[in-house]
Amino acid sequence: MLKEVAAQIAGSAGPANPGDLRTLDRAAAWRSLAQSGLLALRTRDGGSPAGSGVEVAVVAEALGAGLVPVPYLGSAVLATELLALAGAHDEAEALAEGGSRTGVLLDGDLSALAVLPGDQAVYGWDVDGADGALALTGVRGGYQVVRVSLETGFVPVPGADLTRALLRSDGPVGEASPTPVGSPLSAEDLSRWEALALTAIAADTVGVMRAAVARAVAYSKERVQYGVLIGSFQAVQHMCAEAYVQAEASASAVNYAAWAVDELEPAEALLAARTAKAQCASVAREVTETVMQVFGGIGQTYEHIAHVHTRRALTDRQVLGDEGVQLLRIADVRLTGE
Amino acid sequence: MDYRDTPEEAEFRASLREWLAAAIPAGWDKIDDEEAAVRLRKEWHRTLYRAGYVGMSWPEEYGGRGLSPVYDAILNEECGNLNAPPLPSVGYIGRAVFTYATEEQKRRFLPPLLSGEASWCQGFSEPEAGSDLASLRTTARLDGDHYVVNGQKMWTSGGQYADWCLLLARTDPDAPKHKGISAFLVSMTEPGVTCRPIVIASGEAETSEVFWDDVRIPVDQRLGAPGEGWRIAMTTVTYERGPADIGFIANYRRTLRKVEAIAAERGLLDRPETRKALARAYVRGEVLRLNCMEQLSLRVSGRPPGPEGSVAKLLWADAEQSLQHLAMDLLGADEMTGVAADWLSSYFTSRPVSVYGGSAQIQKNIIARMLDMPR
Repeated sequence: MLKEVAAQIAGSAGPANPGDLRTLDRAAAWRSLAQSGLLALRTRDGGSPAGSGVEVAVVAEALGAGLVPVPYLGSAVLATELLALAGAHDEAEALAEGGSRTGVLLDGDLSALAVLPGDQAVYGWDVDGADGALALTGVRGGYQVVRVSLETGFVPVPGADLTRALLRSDGPVGEASPTPVGSPLSAEDLSRWEALALTAIAADTVGVMRAAVARAVAYSKERVQYGVLIGSFQAVQHMCAEAYVQAEASASAVNYAAWAVDELEPAEALLAARTAKAQCASVAREVTETVMQVFGGIGQTYEHIAHVHTRRALTDRQVLGDEGVQLLRIADVRLTGE
Repeated sequence: MDYRDTPEEAEFRASLREWLAAAIPAGWDKIDDEEAAVRLRKEWHRTLYRAGYVGMSWPEEYGGRGLSPVYDAILNEECGNLNAPPLPSVGYIGRAVFTYATEEQKRRFLPPLLSGEASWCQGFSEPEAGSDLASLRTTARLDGDHYVVNGQKMWTSGGQYADWCLLLARTDPDAPKHKGISAFLVSMTEPGVTCRPIVIASGEAETSEVFWDDVRIPVDQRLGAPGEGWRIAMTTVTYERGPADIGFIANYRRTLRKVEAIAAERGLLDRPETRKALARAYVRGEVLRLNCMEQLSLRVSGRPPGPEGSVAKLLWADAEQSLQHLAMDLLGADEMTGVAADWLSSYFTSRPVSVYGGSAQIQKNIIARMLDMPR
């Protein structure tokens, strides 16, 4: 049911060609998501989330598959979950209604939530239509969620991903501007948040990969060279099969991580999420490159949709840590029991 | 899908753990003599069976316990965790018998297969029929109430230790190649059956070739209808690729722990590259395990295994072979100088994983067909 609703919204709100990104009605897509309750999944209802990690992953995958250019991950998942964990329920509810949007601030290499004050410029990620973004600041015994206004001190940058807005701060974000939101977070809260965030990004990647592979396979059944469909060549079949295997393998890892978000202890949920993120990050580049290769010359052009998949997958790979980052953290758990 | 044990499954897991802790033969993995290792594996099969752990998902009337295949997966997992000897792979041949046999054949063949009294091999491939299995040339000519079999089989794993064989032979030379094949249940002790071990690159006699010279098989040992052999073969290989029927996940986890121990012993755990490589191996194993669990859950819901088993087979081969590459990188010269000869042997044992049960290329062909790509 949820899957069908998400897929339906994604189907009408995603680009068929890069040119569509200029004309798509993003506000209408956001309203549909709000009206269907999909922005409210991580608001709390009597203490527990209204929707499970599995439901978040289903929506994220559908929107990734559709390359939908709305800040579902940034606002409805990453920011909303931070607010809810901090007990800022009114703020989370406001985001769920769709009237306002909030993104997240990431550090200079996009690999973690920014901790303020820092000594480097930070990025506002997935901030389309957002007037503020969330980050952390250290307090005694943990971290405090803070809100930073994006109205001044940030400039839009032409990020790789054509479907998500990216801003860079003019310089380090000082202590003056951030406003504390809610109560301080424990280490456990942050593990929970990271488990959900990594899983949702990985689910988006799975959507991007599966849809890209499906596009390439469909094209192989239309494109004729040497008088035959290119999909009849074993070389092309094996490229598609390999890409398919990696996308499906990633989906298996994400399904488990999504279940683990609410069902397992934070440390176990985080290990499952890192496993899923590491898997997706390890294969997403090659899978989307394979898809561009199947499309041949046309797949290398700006007008074609193939690179939009690649760009979104590459950015997903980097955000909150690529496979190298995840693997080192997994090794800490496996090899030293940290 | 729920990845957690039900209360019944959790109880089963706990009692299994307790049982395994006491039942696992000490030092079983230090046995060098091959025949002794085979004896131990057969004995372990019977021990598991007596405790009720073999064929748990089979109907009680054929010697099973009628449980969900999830219990097989739990067994797999716990045996891996506790470093038990390899699990018997009764599933893939048994399933074919179970699916196609007459009631009488089921009662005759399935209980000893499950209990370990009779061990089985698979007579499919031939010198000229590997990936192109349907072009097999071994013939079975009807002669009164017997078939007379002539030909040669290759890559018959464990043929030298098997009591029975699931044999494919051509019964109708005039039919199209997929249609003229029938399947038989044959004793390996029949006159005219000659088995010669094939030593693979590792130096071990893992498999064999079997010669069939005027071997007489009673008609009532044909499995399925005449000409149904291809369908039976496909059922068998689908289950051979299947997740819970073969102990590969348990094996993989055990080997990974050994590789981690090598890195620790050699003081390599400070190197980020080594840490990443070990974590990547863990991720590969997890992805494989989770993919298999999803398939298992589909199977529990009543769906027979389909072409998606090819996904697991490719993931398995890749994981297994990558892990052996990692071990080789960590061991360095030791694997070349005989210091770590057992790892060189494991390396070569990992190579045929992408060949047997349908090569990696065949698996990709199957996936392309599943994606409905043009022929």
